[in-house]
Amino acid sequence: MDLETVMERAGPREFGPGDDLPEKYRKAATRMIQFHANSEVMGGYLDKTFTRKAPSLDRKLANTAKVQDEIGHAQLLYRAAETLGVKTRAEMLDELATGDGKFLNCFHYPVDSWYEAPMIDFFVDGGAMRRQATLKSTSWTPYAHAMDKVCFEEGFHVKHGESILRELMNGSKATQERMQETFDVWWPRILQFFGPTNDESVHDDFAQAVGLKTATNDELRTSFLNMYIPKAEKYGLEIPEYPRLYERDDGTMAVREDDLDWEEFWTISRNEYEGSKEQIGSRRRRQDAVEWVRESLETWESSAGPTPQTAD
Amino acid sequence: MIWEVFRQEEPGDSHEHVGNVHAPDREMATLFARIQHARRMQTNSLWVTPRDEIGEVTAEEAAFGGRTDKSYRWAMTYNDIDASFAEEVADSESKQREAARKRREALREEETDA
Ligand SMILES: [Fe+2]
Ligand SMILES: [Fe+2]
Repeated sequence: MDLETVMERAGPREFGPGDDLPEKYRKAATRMIQFHANSEVMGGYLDKTFTRKAPSLDRKLANTAKVQDEIGHAQLLYRAAETLGVKTRAEMLDELATGDGKFLNCFHYPVDSWYEAPMIDFFVDGGAMRRQATLKSTSWTPYAHAMDKVCFEEGFHVKHGESILRELMNGSKATQERMQETFDVWWPRILQFFGPTNDESVHDDFAQAVGLKTATNDELRTSFLNMYIPKAEKYGLEIPEYPRLYERDDGTMAVREDDLDWEEFWTISRNEYEGSKEQIGSRRRRQDAVEWVRESLETWESSAGPTPQTAD
Repeated sequence: MIWEVFRQEEPGDSHEHVGNVHAPDREMATLFARIQHARRMQTNSLWVTPRDEIGEVTAEEAAFGGRTDKSYRWAMTYNDIDASFAEEVADSESKQREAARKRREALREEETDA
């Protein structure tokens, strides 16, 4: 299939492993799904910090369940990416360890307090879920199938995250103040989650033209703000004055770009932020620690019985 | 040789198991599958696979999800939180509620059988 045909046919769940697709499509889809899968891993690793911080057994259990879900999402997504034939799962996991693999900006900031839990579990997961719901109609079918299962599970994450926020904002005055301080720190990062305004985004046009992406960052940011600002305010959080938000003529919401720290954002996107190194490093050390498990699985697989080896 | 047959109705759907056919090789299996399972039914694609290649685990051997109380991992548990503000959260919750209901029903049946 040539690119022109791909663009012509582009639509929800239009292409799958049986189609002969141009390299440009397969590479773009791989980049996108690998980024998504990496983010599930790094989000899961970040989130596991909260299990220790959680104030009750129920919260600890819910948190471990969430971490388990996220790692499961990563597994689904690496499989969906692998079906494009560009990279293997092992290659993608190695790239994440060497610092070549990219992932969401919010997961480059190490966390160390329970107050940060609703930042990740409610706002970031909420934003991610907005995006993931639109990816149910991506053109790469295995990706869409992964989104069906991911979206099924995510409702629990977002509601649990909101429940933590609610609990903390019903706490003492001091607790509420700490929550507000944490929110002030995280709010600009959460706004950057949707990237810079459309015209600056490098890969968007192609991804949209071939149906990989079905919503623009602008649309996602707008709907996110319309849904989540009222939630924050409902619990008594104040939206910081800066970065300033405004409505464009077409009704979409935007952020004054100058009010955000784009240098930090681009440093993060190159994995060169201090937190990036810390997060990537701690995950790599954990991956190394269980090398023996992978090795014994491989030894077992290559010595296994009569079934021929069919990885795919 | 027995081949299990999986049918995909519309492009983009998952392949679902619809039955099996007797056939000496893969080619004949696809042919028989077409005749038996796609002649009248709306079909976009068929998969056939030797039955021996399928691994199975049943509820008799394994405790599948939902035996111990894991209510903390269901969206419905957080019922002081209103999911309706975001379509995708509400959608996830209603699917989880449905899955939990089915699970409860199955457990109840098991208990009355025992
Ligand atoms: Fe996830
Ligand atoms: Fe999540």
